[in-house]
Amino acid sequence: MEPMDIVGKSKEDASLPKATMTKIIKEMLPPDVRVARDAQDLLIECCVEFINLISSESNEVCNREDRRTIAPEHVLKALEVLGFGEYIEEVYAAYEQHKVETMQDSLKGGKWSNGAEMTEEEAAAEQQRMFAEARARMNGGAVAPKQPDPDPSVES
Amino acid sequence: MRQAGTYSGMVISGKTGPHLLPLARIKKIMKKSGEEVKMISGESPIVFSKACELFIKELTQRSWMVTIKGKTRTLSKEDVASAVLATDLFDFLLNLVSQSAPAPLHPKPPN
Repeated sequence: MEPMDIVGKSKEDASLPKATMTKIIKEMLPPDVRVARDAQDLLIECCVEFINLISSESNEVCNREDRRTIAPEHVLKALEVLGFGEYIEEVYAAYEQHKVETMQDSLKGGKWSNGAEMTEEEAAAEQQRMFAEARARMNGGAVAPKQPDPDPSVES
Repeated sequence: MRQAGTYSGMVISGKTGPHLLPLARIKKIMKKSGEEVKMISGESPIVFSKACELFIKELTQRSWMVTIKGKTRTLSKEDVASAVLATDLFDFLLNLVSQSAPAPLHPKPPN
């Protein structure tokens, strides 16, 4: 027997941390603005609902591709399908940034020496390369990554 | 400026400093979203985290647009509901906010 489906069903055990959410909300607004407590709660519930929606769609996308694990590209596709295509660029950038940072962390391996495995420029170049590669994958691999080589005789 | 160590959450740079949306909780919500949810790659919650941030920012902004039409400086539940009603993209939230919605602008036929 299912419990009664009340609107605003609480998912106390799997909700987002109020303090963090509140900070994000407040930063969008002028400093003197107040946010009613029930408005905050509603915003958080909306966010959870958003995750549910994108999750379900990501699951579908994953199914259609006969894959077993929901990967970031499925999530991005889901966003597009559901009309949140505007988010994709920024979301993708943040994801790539995170990957670069994680990579730098593991490369440094806790050493505090000046000579990191990768300099800032190399890391940035690597990031650009990953961007381009991933974009190519997203476009079905039809477009080759842009070569930085200025030599016109090189086929790209 | 970056802190050492691997984050267990996605760092969202805000004016008051970086925020973290916990990836573990996002994963939990994802798993609860359906009965046959597959395995989730370790990186997917990161993508979700950023998408959530953007979503909340947009919803907050739209709600705020409603608030300033009134005379208060307090963003209320009704403002959030109004923003949802006014945005086609947020149709999936209609059920969630229907309790808080202000008086309907036009009568809708019951489904």
